[in-house]
Amino acid sequence: MKLVNQALLFHRLRLSLLRNSWRATFGQSSMRPLVVVLCSLVVWGFVFAISWGGFLFLQMEVGVPMTGDIVGILLDLLFLSLAVLLIFSSGLILYGSLFSSAETAFLLSKPVAADRVFAYKFQGALAFSSWAFLLLGTPILLAFGIVGEAPWYFYFFLPLYFLGFVLLPGALGGLGALLVVNFVPQRRKQVVGLLLAALTAALLLWIYRIVRAAPTDLWRDEMREAVTRLLSYFTFTRSPLAPSHWVSLGLRRVVRGEIGSALYYLALVWSNGLFLYLMTAVAASWLYRRGYNRLSTGGDLRRTAAPPTLAPAGESLNPPTVAVASSLRREPWVDRLLYGALPFVHPSTRLLLVKDFRTFRRDPQQWGQILVFSGLMLLYFTNIRRFVENLEGRFQNGISFLNLCAIALLLCTYTGRFVYPMLSLEGRKFWILGLLPLRRERLLQGKFAFSMVGGLIIAEGLALVSDLMLMMPGEAILLHALTVAVLAAGLSGLSVGLGAVMPNFRESDPSKIAAGFGGTLNLVAGLLFLLLILGSMAAPWHAETLLESTEVSGLIPKEGVIGFGMVVGLALGAACVILPLRAGIRALREMEF
Amino acid sequence: MIKLDRVTKQYGTKTAVHELNLDIPSGELFAFLGPNGAGKTTTIKMMCGLLFPTTGQVLIGGYDLRREGDRARQLLSYVPDQPFLYEKLTGREFLQFIADMYGLPRARAAERIAEVIELFELHEFVDDLTERYSHGMRQRTVFASALVHEPRVLIVDEPTVGLDPHSVRRLKDLLRQQADRGTTVFLSSHSLDVVEELADRIAIIEHGRLVACGNLKELRARAAVDGSLEDVFLTLTRHESEPANRPR
Repeated sequence: MKLVNQALLFHRLRLSLLRNSWRATFGQSSMRPLVVVLCSLVVWGFVFAISWGGFLFLQMEVGVPMTGDIVGILLDLLFLSLAVLLIFSSGLILYGSLFSSAETAFLLSKPVAADRVFAYKFQGALAFSSWAFLLLGTPILLAFGIVGEAPWYFYFFLPLYFLGFVLLPGALGGLGALLVVNFVPQRRKQVVGLLLAALTAALLLWIYRIVRAAPTDLWRDEMREAVTRLLSYFTFTRSPLAPSHWVSLGLRRVVRGEIGSALYYLALVWSNGLFLYLMTAVAASWLYRRGYNRLSTGGDLRRTAAPPTLAPAGESLNPPTVAVASSLRREPWVDRLLYGALPFVHPSTRLLLVKDFRTFRRDPQQWGQILVFSGLMLLYFTNIRRFVENLEGRFQNGISFLNLCAIALLLCTYTGRFVYPMLSLEGRKFWILGLLPLRRERLLQGKFAFSMVGGLIIAEGLALVSDLMLMMPGEAILLHALTVAVLAAGLSGLSVGLGAVMPNFRESDPSKIAAGFGGTLNLVAGLLFLLLILGSMAAPWHAETLLESTEVSGLIPKEGVIGFGMVVGLALGAACVILPLRAGIRALREMEF
Repeated sequence: MIKLDRVTKQYGTKTAVHELNLDIPSGELFAFLGPNGAGKTTTIKMMCGLLFPTTGQVLIGGYDLRREGDRARQLLSYVPDQPFLYEKLTGREFLQFIADMYGLPRARAAERIAEVIELFELHEFVDDLTERYSHGMRQRTVFASALVHEPRVLIVDEPTVGLDPHSVRRLKDLLRQQADRGTTVFLSSHSLDVVEELADRIAIIEHGRLVACGNLKELRARAAVDGSLEDVFLTLTRHESEPANRPR
């Protein structure tokens, strides 16, 4: 037997997998790559336009130099948040792929060095967790370079800085996963949960302090003093030991044409990145197999299961309501509350709804993200009164509309990221649902009800807080509530329906299902629907209110436009519930498993 | 070729395998039986180096799996009950990957790949992506990959599940041939008829303890039953299952 170059072996494996995946995905239809490229270009272009406009505004209107401290802080924040996101995302992805995938069990039973398996998985995790930065970060940095009139080599330095930088958080995430599995295998979820909670709390506190301190002063004090005070809250991002600061500094030096200094920071980023990666790879050679063993055997032989929830002996299982009601008596109160809150929904649909809710609430990775986003929004809404106290009504009107847009986007993310993959996640177990003695449309109705109820609770609550804080009139509150309800229904219908039309039973990772072709199409359809609903239902009222004191006011009857918009919006909402669900039900009826 | 020396494996406070001793020579087809949860899969995972014994030692070809794991794994092939295939590789690419992983020279690898394709009749689908394979096709590809590097130890967990009678017959012939050629075959199965037909020696494990080990004749004597392996197995494991005999 010859000596095996395992690095080359895994490199060839990855190339083969990529080539075959590419052919399988794009080989049969030219429509799919076209849609993916177009969607990516639209998102990229949108972010670029916003960033370009923002940087131009800062430079031309406010007189902020592109290589100065204020833009530096923005870049520091961008790279710091990227680093935090990458630490957690690469850590979680690596944990999943190193310790709970069938592939690693296969590889570990072969004569392969543990650090080689780690390196192979590390590259995959890093590529997967940093693609979003390529889509959203590159347009910002390119806009920065263009507005700052950066020399040509800025665009050469940019990917070099990026590649060196992602090594640091990626390696840190990987090291964290190895340490957690090796030293607290039974409490790993609690440790990660605590870390995330601490980070979220720190972030919320920081935002709270900024919001509390900045707004009133901004309008009354000298601008310079207010900005100086505001900047003091960002000093932690500028620590000379923070790699995010090295990247920010380095890129600004490139824009200034200081190549020597830029090369110094580039070397600093790369040397630290490679060193940390090396340390992590060495740790993997010691700890990976040990951790795999500890994770597999650290707990009990069997996991403790919840007590059985069958109906008591002698109790009839038909009609199902009786058995369900009695079994739920022993269930957690949230499940019982959900079941009891929807008496108008068919019992078997309610049962499926409770099952979906139970799966959802037992997976913190799912609801954690919604909780963080909703929490941030709530914090912003509850502090918004400080901004508007000194603002004119037109700003109040505009801000309330923008808040509604943000809530709509949150709903679109919720349905696209969590609701769309729900049917696919039934996966190879789908036959269980398929064989249940209930009409298959009930499966979709259950998922639709779950999505709609969840979306309504979150979005209506946020909309109400936003409007009350902005002291909006009663008619605006009602209008927003109705708009949010139509959005929740339509987006749920789209996601559930399209999820059934284009299921992916092979994939078990919801983020990958959401990022696939069907998920992307659903996201685009959702965004389009969102624009149409906001444009037809909410925008006319806000536009009319804005124009009330102007000359054009009264040219068009207010009630007529708003009423027409309402009818269009309601019709659109109904169509987005009925048509996708009908298509989904048809697909589900014809589905073989 | 395979030696387990006083191997104990604990999961937290529970003992999955208790003081297990096995010594299996080259060319033996050794069957490993036991009820569900008896510790069979844990033992197999320790023999592949996926898990480490809490105490004791596992040796493959004289190499300690804990200290010289890569050398030991170079000698063996493991076919789990739910085998893994890369969905986006063709059968041929998968066989090539395995041959490369075990360091077969290019010419020898090509020769061996052609041989296993012939042996397992993979011609018709070997150049398709494995995601399109049926259960039988997957199983044949996995066995082909397990044998492509001519292992000295073949560990097989529940190989007959989901196979049609023709495939089961072919598999039984293959396992016997491998043992006759000098490969140590370690077979874990609930198919007692297969084991009865093939095994040179049989070990029965329950609650992590070795209940009996020997050829069928010796097991019949141990159980005081003159019947099939099923009767012997049920008698031995029934006795062991009685509360008074359970390990505390």
